[in-house]
Amino acid sequence: MSSKTRFSMIHSPQKTNRTTPTSKSFPRCNKKNSGSPVGEEPNKMTETEIAQIGKPLRQNICVEMLRDGFPHSFKELFALLQRWDEADDDPHKLQTLQLHLTRAEAAERAGKYDEAYENHMLLARFFTEDKWMKHHFLELALRSARKVIMDSGKREAEARSLVGQAYLEKGDLELAQEHLEVFYQLTAGRTWQDSNGRMQHSRSCEELQTVYTLMAQRSLQDQQYEQAIKMSRKAYTIAKESGDRALEGEAAYRLGLAYQSTGDQKIAMKFLSSYMEIALTLEDTDSLGRAHEAMAKCLESEGKITEAIELWEKYVETCKSSKQDQNLERAYMSLGHILKSQKRYGEARVYFERALELACLEGCPRRVQEAQVYVGITRALSTFPAYMKLIQDQNLDALLAWKDRREDRFSSAASSEPESTAQSNTVVP
Amino acid sequence: MSASIYPLANPKGEKKLCEICQKPAKLQCTKCLVTFYCNLDHQQADWTSIHEKACPLLVSINTPVPSGTLSDQNHHHKETLKKQKCLIEMAHLEARKWVSMKRFQDVLPAALLFQHWIMRVYGSCTVELVPAYLLLAQANIGIGSLSQAQEYLSKAEWIVMKTADCSHTVLHQLHRTLGRLHAAMGKQASALTHFANDVYYAIEMFGLDSIVTSGGYFLMADVFLKQNKPDIAHSLYTEVAGSWHTHLCKLMDGISQSATQPDECFNEVQCVEADQMLSCILEFEEQCVKPRPEQLTMLAHSLAMLWLLRDNYTKALEYGKKAEVLIQGVKEQNRLRESIHNLLQHAEKNMNETANLHTADCNTH
Repeated sequence: MSSKTRFSMIHSPQKTNRTTPTSKSFPRCNKKNSGSPVGEEPNKMTETEIAQIGKPLRQNICVEMLRDGFPHSFKELFALLQRWDEADDDPHKLQTLQLHLTRAEAAERAGKYDEAYENHMLLARFFTEDKWMKHHFLELALRSARKVIMDSGKREAEARSLVGQAYLEKGDLELAQEHLEVFYQLTAGRTWQDSNGRMQHSRSCEELQTVYTLMAQRSLQDQQYEQAIKMSRKAYTIAKESGDRALEGEAAYRLGLAYQSTGDQKIAMKFLSSYMEIALTLEDTDSLGRAHEAMAKCLESEGKITEAIELWEKYVETCKSSKQDQNLERAYMSLGHILKSQKRYGEARVYFERALELACLEGCPRRVQEAQVYVGITRALSTFPAYMKLIQDQNLDALLAWKDRREDRFSSAASSEPESTAQSNTVVP
Repeated sequence: MSASIYPLANPKGEKKLCEICQKPAKLQCTKCLVTFYCNLDHQQADWTSIHEKACPLLVSINTPVPSGTLSDQNHHHKETLKKQKCLIEMAHLEARKWVSMKRFQDVLPAALLFQHWIMRVYGSCTVELVPAYLLLAQANIGIGSLSQAQEYLSKAEWIVMKTADCSHTVLHQLHRTLGRLHAAMGKQASALTHFANDVYYAIEMFGLDSIVTSGGYFLMADVFLKQNKPDIAHSLYTEVAGSWHTHLCKLMDGISQSATQPDECFNEVQCVEADQMLSCILEFEEQCVKPRPEQLTMLAHSLAMLWLLRDNYTKALEYGKKAEVLIQGVKEQNRLRESIHNLLQHAEKNMNETANLHTADCNTH
């Protein structure tokens, strides 16, 4: 009992009401902050300002948000801060968050979802460097955009496109596909343009095509050919719709390759030739080269070697006339390989030598070496039959003579066939 | 139970003061002999609030030190300390109970006892005292003696100031009570700031999903309503209703999976507070111009779960049926419908069981 009375004597009742709220913040007003300017005049500070002294900015901002009646923004910010450690270093970022989150919440409360959308988008653009923050705000923007009724889905389309891209960057193809497909559907039949004046729908086709292609490639890697063909087909259809010929050609090429990997050469040829056609009209020589290569491979695996060789020779002519040395070199190499696989070593050597010549002109050591190796291999292989014949005939004199002199007699023996002699004489320096 | 003080039967040199008002006492509790009152009213008030439960403990705390060995005496001290802490705990709980029931007059004696024994056990300037001051302040706000409340809050603030690294739980409670005081004084803006701090500290301490914060949100909504900003109040209510619904659903899942008793995860004070908040929000939502059926269903469902967890099957059924009617207006009837159905079944089953037990009891007698 006595202690109670003693206590009430120490704490004499306070008469003024003002002291209570201000005194609370007094001990936290530590030396660190005493020097920093908070208000213009210290005696004009409000109770709130005083209470904020010495507390971390994140706390002050959170409390301010709550005080002003923005519980969602507060929860949003608090959850972000739990993941985001360096927030305290950057008042600008925190204040931007506060401003736009609260504006978005107020707009949402008033049913102005378009305004909420704008604010979320602003935040997404503000945090381009923090990938996950950007993505987070894009999702929020999408949520508000879906509530906007009067814009026939334009905002949703925008948001879907950006969210889809964010997932694509992350490598989450399924979710990217989901969002981009909605983007595609929303823009179908609309004349909306993006800030660069490009049609949104054609952009949606392009993006969706990228996703489908990536999915097809992933399936190819996992050797799920059916799935790969399915996705490639989707990519092709949508690329055709985009109106971008180059894109269409590319998609046709990939589809052709997918069919090729399943061994369905006929269908593969169909798509590859349409790829070639597009490459021809676009005068895209690189694509043309790739088309030839792939088609020749098709013909080869079907056993139509002559046709494959013809195809290449035609391409050689095209390259020669348009002076594309690098493509020409590739064509020579490919021809060499086909002929080599047909055991027509003499002819193959000729092509490899031509390729070597071009590579020397280019001065690329790796390609020079590659061509050199193949020239060597075909040369050796072409001497082989004549040499074996001498052994079978047990023509010891001839063998000994060769051994003594080490002269290249076999290749000349091998090149007794008329056409290759003519060629080799012209080319070998 | 009471008798006028017989001076020769009491130790000399100590003034006998009334337990309630600190005036010279004229009466003495005949059971514990250590509690005094100035009049019968005060004794009656103390009895209903806390003394009925505290009296036996006070008797045993005041048993004289045995004249035995030193270890005997040590043992006695330890035992006494244990009993004192038990008394403190009990007084705290009782005071909180009265607060939750809004019987503020009954809070005071319990809270005073709580404060008195904390001072005896822990000293007069310990952070342990803060909850006692806060309870006393809250009771005084409830009664309407604001200056008294302010005095207690100043004491609490003083202690918090002097305590380095004060726990966020204490800060959250302090700000909540300060907010209540300022709201009662009509200082809406500072009330909001205090509630905002309360919510902030509570979330720092208990996490974003905790129901501890919902109390702060609820009080803020009240202030916003007074400021004539029903839209903000509305979104705060949504927050409260949402977190309680999630919490109660989790508790229900826990009970249906393992056979834990609801009492273990849910005390009486919490239950009363939840009931008050949720009923109030339900009423508010029902009076809204544009009623939101999902929100209403969720609230009715929460209340039904709340009463089911407290074994009040009649009330659980009442709210469950209400939720069942309300859900007809919801477009997407997903999982909620299923849980409401399960709840009704559960409640009906238990209701029949208790009824059967009751008739069985009657038959045996």
